[in-house]
Amino acid sequence: MEKHNTTKNRYMNPYLAGIGLGLTLLISFLVLGAGLGASSGLARLAACMELCVAKTHTLSSQYFGKWGQNPMQYYLVFMLAGTFLGGLCSALLANRTKLQIERGKQSSIRLRSVLALIGGILVGFASRLAQGCTSGQALSGTALLLTGSFVFLVCIFVGGYATAYLFRRQWND
Amino acid sequence: MPQLICSGGSGMINTMYQLDTLDSAKAFLAALLIGVAFGFFLERAGFGSSRKLTGVFYFRDMAVIKVMFTAVITAALGLTCCVVLGIVSIEGVYLMPTVYGAYIVGGLIFGVGFVMGGWCPGTAAAGVASGKIDALIFLAGAIIGSALFNEMFGLIKPLYESGQRGVVFIYDTLGISKGTFNVLLSIAAVVMFWGCEWIEKRKTSQSLGDNTTILKTVSVAILSIAIVLVAVGSGLPSSPQIGATAGVISSESQLLEAVEMAEDHIEPEELAERMLRQEPGLIVVDIRPVVEYLDYHLPNALNIQMKDLHHALVPYKNSGTIVLYSNGMTHPVQARDSLFRSGYTNAYILTDGLNGFIERCLTPISLRDEILPKETADKIRAWRAFFLGLAAPQEKPDIPDVPLSDGLLVNAEWLERQLESADTKILDLRVQPEYNTSHIRNSLSLNVENLRINLDGVGSMLQPADMLARHFSGMGIRPTDMVVIVYGDKTQDATLVGIALERLGHTAYRILNGGFAAWKSANKVVVSELPEIVSSSYPVTGTDNFSVDYRTVLEYVKSRKGIILDVRPSDYYSGSKSDEARAGHIPGAINRPYTEDLVIVNNVPWFKPAKELSGVYSQIIPSKDSTVIIHCRTGHQASQTYFVLKRLLGYSNILWYDAGWSEWAAKKELPIE
Repeated sequence: MEKHNTTKNRYMNPYLAGIGLGLTLLISFLVLGAGLGASSGLARLAACMELCVAKTHTLSSQYFGKWGQNPMQYYLVFMLAGTFLGGLCSALLANRTKLQIERGKQSSIRLRSVLALIGGILVGFASRLAQGCTSGQALSGTALLLTGSFVFLVCIFVGGYATAYLFRRQWND
Repeated sequence: MPQLICSGGSGMINTMYQLDTLDSAKAFLAALLIGVAFGFFLERAGFGSSRKLTGVFYFRDMAVIKVMFTAVITAALGLTCCVVLGIVSIEGVYLMPTVYGAYIVGGLIFGVGFVMGGWCPGTAAAGVASGKIDALIFLAGAIIGSALFNEMFGLIKPLYESGQRGVVFIYDTLGISKGTFNVLLSIAAVVMFWGCEWIEKRKTSQSLGDNTTILKTVSVAILSIAIVLVAVGSGLPSSPQIGATAGVISSESQLLEAVEMAEDHIEPEELAERMLRQEPGLIVVDIRPVVEYLDYHLPNALNIQMKDLHHALVPYKNSGTIVLYSNGMTHPVQARDSLFRSGYTNAYILTDGLNGFIERCLTPISLRDEILPKETADKIRAWRAFFLGLAAPQEKPDIPDVPLSDGLLVNAEWLERQLESADTKILDLRVQPEYNTSHIRNSLSLNVENLRINLDGVGSMLQPADMLARHFSGMGIRPTDMVVIVYGDKTQDATLVGIALERLGHTAYRILNGGFAAWKSANKVVVSELPEIVSSSYPVTGTDNFSVDYRTVLEYVKSRKGIILDVRPSDYYSGSKSDEARAGHIPGAINRPYTEDLVIVNNVPWFKPAKELSGVYSQIIPSKDSTVIIHCRTGHQASQTYFVLKRLLGYSNILWYDAGWSEWAAKKELPIE
């Protein structure tokens, strides 16, 4: 019981962390005039990679094409880099940097990796479709009280809870 | 960071989105720092662990809901406070449009990906920072998924655009006030927080301990701020009873606000009258998404998206009357306020929006409850005829009533009288075999594509004067001739030939309105003999000062001195369709599709009467000597609008950007919207 408590206390109180996150978002609204975002940075990275492989094809494609030849010159790319740096600061301070594939004790590295990859593909795709992810839509959009963002948020939980059972094995201890 | 905010001064902050500086180095630095704070709190909260994140789906660990909703409420209430205190205006923040179909499907797929992969993009970045290899794999997947979306975009586009509603607020959707919604959201969050604690307690049999103190404080703080905001919003001193009567007070205040703002409104009936008499200088702007605009819009309304308004309306600033409308009122009010702050004193919003306009002005008399005086009934009939195109049956002639000559447009009678003159040269632009089988006596066949060439790498450019002169010499055309152009099924073919003649300084030309079809339907004589031609020697003396290159256009984009008229179809202008390297339009350009100047009779386009076009363009172009740059994709369609403005309506400063969107889209350094 006592041990459990100490592991739990390693993280910040969720409500205080939430207030910190909310104030960060508020500052983003006031300074940038736009909310937080993460998936856009990844999509720009994807466009950049595609440009390296097939330049004319990418430039003429309907979606990435409109970002031009320098898709990385976009504020959300820098925000994504910042997110990594901020995470690194916090993890280093709390001594939580450990190279690992996080999974249940009885789950294989292979299962966890495959699920992470496919999950990533689905999330990357869905984020473009919905013009944002948990950061841009579910967090920033709902804070702006936008109808579409609430719809997106509800659907994330519907999709998640409906299929959670199928993927539970990766966390089996 | 707080210093940065305060440096905005005592008044309103202008956000980078508002100032259009999100692509500056300063914005990149600010985004990086905000990202650092974002990543820091994500990791602090434990979201650098996929196991903790997915805990919410197995009722193991509800931190996701607790953190997320605390953050949403903090930011939502914080932003409302800032708006109430006048620190920032809501239109200074980028508001994402609602697209129901895309968001529902996207959300469901995202949810599956989230529980499967254990991460979402932001948390995975924090996860990689704390050494999680599965987060790196997930991010690689997300990059692949993004690229996959790009590759499949053509296929997915209908879904991507399905259920577009523009910017919609949840409180409007629910039909309650913003204050009431904030209170309800806060109550829901507090209930959820306690529910989460209860779930975790059952699952882990762990005492709430320190959590409750913080949770109690947070709960009380959230609820009181939400309630105080309602009270402040109502403009009344806060009192203990406020909570109970919040809804009523809020709608009272909305009413007062509406009354106070009434001077910025224009009533539907007044707008209907002013549009009906085609008041010069009256600019009606539809700010809804393109699809809705294409579906129905008020006649001659321009379609300008919210983000483009500041750019596109510059030529109309403080001259004439700008009326903004959408379906409802929220966006036009935001847009008007934003324009007002930028110094516009002539922007108005349409009371009750398009919905109200349709209800108040266009509801058929038979469906109205009240009995109307005859005068009002007549007005409504006239409005319905004008706005819905419901002309009385007897006013629908099969063929437009073309006067003998309408400026440079002529009818078959006029042409017949000219036939005997040796100085008349008729150019027939129809394709083979139509020309060879029957044509007007002595008319010459001409394929307009023969007047175009690839210049400096841009295809379909009008040939230089010397080449055109040789071409016309071969056809026996002399500088003293009156050239009459007869088109087949494209008016823009005729106007392109007209522009070719103008390049040589030859303005003595006419266009047979209705083309060959007009000749046929007037039962005039046709022959099949080919004419005899004595070739001439057309001198090259053309002074072409009407076609401009991209550098000139760019200067106008920067100085915003003239009007850039994009005459392509609306879906190309908006970028939803594209045949070129990039989709969209030149910044600040206004869309007026060339087809709007035509009326189609039996599949043949006719120019609308000059009088009607004159009324329309007087609403788009401030004065007869305003500089207007006209372009389309290749210069072809633009030649028609050039003809209409310069030759039919007598505008003096009309410039033609021949290379058009083909060139602009291909030059990646040029800005687009």
